[in-house]
Amino acid sequence: MLTLRTANRVLKVLKTTQICKQPFHRWLAPTLRELKRRKDSLGPDKPVHRKTFLEWNYDTEVYAFSKRLGEEFNNDLLQQALTERSYIIREEERQKNVGIEQPTLNLFDNKELVSKGSDFIDDVVKRYLRTVLPRLPEEGIIGIHKYLTSIETLSHVSFHIGTSELILCAEFPVEKLTLSNVLKSITAALVESSGDSRAALFVRDFIITQIADKDLHQFWEPEEPIKLLSEILARDGIQSPEPRLIGSSGKNTILACFRVGLYTPHNKQMIGLGFGETVDIAHEMAARDSLRKLFGTSDNILLPFNLKLDQLCESNVKNLFVNEWSQKILPTRPMHYELRMAKETCSN
Amino acid sequence: MSSSRFTPRGFPRVPLQNGIGRYICQLKRVTLRFCKSSGSSRGIRDFIETDLISYAQEHPGTAVYLKPRRHKSPSFVAEYLNGEREVISCHNFTAQEMIKWLNLYTTRSGIPLMRYAKMWHTDCPSIQGVWSPFTNKDPALNITQFPSKELSKPVWEEKSATEELLEMINKQKISDENDDDTQKVQAAQM
Repeated sequence: MLTLRTANRVLKVLKTTQICKQPFHRWLAPTLRELKRRKDSLGPDKPVHRKTFLEWNYDTEVYAFSKRLGEEFNNDLLQQALTERSYIIREEERQKNVGIEQPTLNLFDNKELVSKGSDFIDDVVKRYLRTVLPRLPEEGIIGIHKYLTSIETLSHVSFHIGTSELILCAEFPVEKLTLSNVLKSITAALVESSGDSRAALFVRDFIITQIADKDLHQFWEPEEPIKLLSEILARDGIQSPEPRLIGSSGKNTILACFRVGLYTPHNKQMIGLGFGETVDIAHEMAARDSLRKLFGTSDNILLPFNLKLDQLCESNVKNLFVNEWSQKILPTRPMHYELRMAKETCSN
Repeated sequence: MSSSRFTPRGFPRVPLQNGIGRYICQLKRVTLRFCKSSGSSRGIRDFIETDLISYAQEHPGTAVYLKPRRHKSPSFVAEYLNGEREVISCHNFTAQEMIKWLNLYTTRSGIPLMRYAKMWHTDCPSIQGVWSPFTNKDPALNITQFPSKELSKPVWEEKSATEELLEMINKQKISDENDDDTQKVQAAQM
């Protein structure tokens, strides 16, 4: 009995040493590796539209879109604003291919709304800029306006309020031009559903706020500031300003820095201060600085984003152009801080 | 907690100047994925039964989808206006935990988590303007005659032992006088 048991035990040990028990699936890693290799060889996945997902309800999304903006839209108009001509053409083609003779879609494209919205945005943006920056020459207003209504800016805004998935258009991914057009048409739809003042608030909150943390001088800067400054001062009867070197450090080194101040000759008032690595650059910077002071666009300017449509100036008034700019004939408009104060007292 | 090796580093940012004009909730879509029978989905089912309607009413700008999936661990997918998508596992969550996590992801901006290099950031306007060697320079230097005796001195001079001793003696004198004074006052009171 005992011998039998020991013999059994010995046999068991022999069995385990002879047959190698695999502790894991030896085939798994190579298979996964091969699958990954094949997937990689196909290249990256093409982006797919969100509507191909199972959890997608277009009506819900459009409802959420209007609620997100906090606006009351006419549903038909909103749908029209989101529909591009290319989509209608493609759908009609599709129906014809299936065999429908006269395809009916009951969809209207947003072409009219786009032009209408574009005009409205242009008008509100220009009026806002002229109200807030009454001393800035018209060239500057045009420069900032051009930035705010560029395809880049409008498409950025349009994407970030969530239109990219709701637009009905033929191309995918949606082009920037389409995105900006849809933003314009949404504005027009808002004008028709809730009125001008509501739509102006929409433009203010989403488009005009894009200049909130931007340097205003990147949009427009005079090319020859020294010449321009003396011309402007001459119109006011002041002789051309006198530059004085009021500081220098690290002369004849690569870290040289000069500081130049501009003084009016008749009453010795400093009108501008600039620094640079050479005296000429510092002089030019000082001229730029004094122009900024004249135009009311200093570096630390804070624009008010609480103006309503009725607080803006009329659309036919314009700022002065550079070649006629003079402090004597500046337009008189309510300054923005007065407007802000008025609003604060109203709310209190 | 936040190691620079794994977490990207950056400054606080906000999409689309959100809040300067008006605030818009950045969560555009949320999909709750759960199982109708398994125990790990218990909390999310409770949440759907009791609190989902009020959540949807409070956040009309967020599209809510329910996606029952047999024998799958529960999770929810948050999709943001900037195109980011996050999947959050809700395995064995209670309904209360569900509310808290959903609230967190509703109030987020959608920008991926990062380690903040600073808690504030401005591109423009700069607070002090562009720096030059003359920024914050004392205006008294404009009328100083050079070489100036005051400015030629070392910034910090160590006291000699004699000076320190003299100072100590002076201090002692003052304290002795004070003691005398207090004694006089006490005597007067007596």
